[in-house]
Amino acid sequence: MKAQRLFQVLGLLDEDLIDEAWTYVPEKKASLLRRSPWLRGAAVAACCAVMCTFGFFYLVTGGFRGMGSAAPETAAPETAADSADAGNSSGGSGSTADFLSYAGPVLPLTTLESGTGLTAQRSLTWDFAPGSYDDGSPRQWGALVTDDYTLTNPTGSDISVTALYPVTGSLAGQGTMTPEVTVNGSAAEVTLYAGGYAGTFGDANDTGGSTWNLAGPYSWEDYAALLDDESFLQDALKSGPAMEIPVTVYRFSDFSAPHKTYDAATQAVEFTIDTSATTILSYGFNGLTSDAETGWRRYDYFVPDGIRNESEQKMLIVLGEDLSGYTLQGYANGACEDPISGVSCTVIREETTLSAVVTELCRAELSQHTDESQWPGLSQLPLPLYEKAAAELLSEYGLLSDTPMDRYTDGRLEDLLWDALAMDRVLYLAVPVTIPAGDSTSLSITFWKEPSYDFGGSGTGREGLQGFEILTAAGSDLNFTGQTTAIVHADGVEILEQDLGFSQEDDGTFVPLDLTRDVYTLVIRPRTRSE
Amino acid sequence: MEDSEIIQLYWDRSEQAIAETSGKYGSFLCRIAWNILRSHDDAEECVNDTYLRTWNAIPPARPGAFRTWLGRITRNLSLDRWNRERAQKRGGDETALLLGELESCVPSPHRTEQHLEDQALADLISSFLRALPKESRVIFLRRYWYGESLESIAAFLGCSSGKVKSSLFRTRGKLRIYLEQEGVSL
Repeated sequence: MKAQRLFQVLGLLDEDLIDEAWTYVPEKKASLLRRSPWLRGAAVAACCAVMCTFGFFYLVTGGFRGMGSAAPETAAPETAADSADAGNSSGGSGSTADFLSYAGPVLPLTTLESGTGLTAQRSLTWDFAPGSYDDGSPRQWGALVTDDYTLTNPTGSDISVTALYPVTGSLAGQGTMTPEVTVNGSAAEVTLYAGGYAGTFGDANDTGGSTWNLAGPYSWEDYAALLDDESFLQDALKSGPAMEIPVTVYRFSDFSAPHKTYDAATQAVEFTIDTSATTILSYGFNGLTSDAETGWRRYDYFVPDGIRNESEQKMLIVLGEDLSGYTLQGYANGACEDPISGVSCTVIREETTLSAVVTELCRAELSQHTDESQWPGLSQLPLPLYEKAAAELLSEYGLLSDTPMDRYTDGRLEDLLWDALAMDRVLYLAVPVTIPAGDSTSLSITFWKEPSYDFGGSGTGREGLQGFEILTAAGSDLNFTGQTTAIVHADGVEILEQDLGFSQEDDGTFVPLDLTRDVYTLVIRPRTRSE
Repeated sequence: MEDSEIIQLYWDRSEQAIAETSGKYGSFLCRIAWNILRSHDDAEECVNDTYLRTWNAIPPARPGAFRTWLGRITRNLSLDRWNRERAQKRGGDETALLLGELESCVPSPHRTEQHLEDQALADLISSFLRALPKESRVIFLRRYWYGESLESIAAFLGCSSGKVKSSLFRTRGKLRIYLEQEGVSL
């Protein structure tokens, strides 16, 4: 009867609210338009400057991810200080979503099971104790987050659940988070799951609908929308799309070329296909020229010379109708205009499945990322997680999709495989937990949180600032009875913007969060040594 | 025809008023009644009763937001009919489900309780809703004012029903906390 009274009371709500709900026009998810095109252009320019060291191909295909650790170091502290006032004075600049590189919010714990009856008390600590560079000098970048939960079971029976802690990030970057989970103070065994790509494809500077670039996610709302969508979590937990598709693979090996005469000697393979019956994926090739009308294609690669740092794994993967034949031709360079002799290779044709190819190439990609300083822990990434991410990308956005994104229409698997590692996602840390009847269980998650930031030299006036957000409820099935947060070891940072209720002097004092609010924001600036 | 002109027809005691109301808002009102009753016959009767109530109420009433005013009458009539028919155990399962969801908004009776008049409580909830993101507010009202199904709301917003369900779950939880903080009991 109480619910019925509430239903009747709702009938007396303000008329404008009732009217609004009926006349509301849903917004298209137009994240790309949220920011000024020039600003995104500046971001790309700044990013590209850093990315040059990664070579031509990453310049074309790479994302912003992972460049962050370098970018803020270029920021001038005095510029950051100047921007602090601007940040405080403008309500519009306070959101971390306004940063050019958006790291995503800290998200609340949830459970795989819904309607468990569990209540939860949350206490989140931001630890700004500085880290260090390789040479031992202090590095004020990001925060160590400890998200503590007390799960209480008010029922008369034990409740066993799978606790799921979502974190924003990428497969390539997960190693830098170094998440640790404890249950009642003991280290817990964690299973890692990866949600699908959290953004979209597009180009803010192109109104023609280009899908060449990765786009977003740009705000906490983008992440909240994903978490609110039950299918996103379900997809993250299930196995990837089936790749047991028969394919014919042409492997290229035993390379030979007159390198002393031609330092960019190139091997090309040409053939003609019926594009309605045949799809080609490539790996290890540097160039593709094609004629859409005739189906003619020329794939080429620089003949490995033992000097250039590039993979000697080169293959063409044929889906559908096999090639009726091909020709090989050597050229003086990648322009493929001056034929030369003395360029040769062995081509081996084999029939296998796309699944086997994806597995092989994922393994090959991981074996190339052994530099722990760049991508800590990446070489230890569970292969099935990577295979699933790659298969999802290929089937949803790549050439296996009915509507592939422009970005993947040339079928270059190395681009797609890198994107699968680098693109923003929600990763789930899964831990089994049992809460005894009438009792409580503590669950604690500690991880390093990358901040949102503006690229050095972007000219936004906010370079050097680091932004963080915390979401109170998005996607969580837990019944929260309270949430608090505290900041510790903040000597090295200045709090510039926040709605959490901290004072700069607070060190470990927990402040309560209003559970009717979805998001809280914190923006800090690392202090300079002279401060 | 403008709402003010239709209302004037009621004031002039012209039966054309009902025809104009039906033409302009008939499907809107039928949808509200259907959402609650899940019976075309019952819904139609409730809408016809709405016209009768309106005829009797205007004059002296001169509603400012005519559509919402009509919808409110239909909603109340439909709920009354749903109660009668539930006693006879037929129809209305969707509404039972909807009311079951609203149970989770009912604040726990562990604080100093404040029994508010319906309108005062509605004003409080209006304030709560105004603080929500617009989409969350729209989802809540489409569900609990208009009685729309999760699937219907999802189709309207172009999102999954899971998102709608999750949004409602969060908003109900927030409303319960809000009402508890305000010391309200139902």
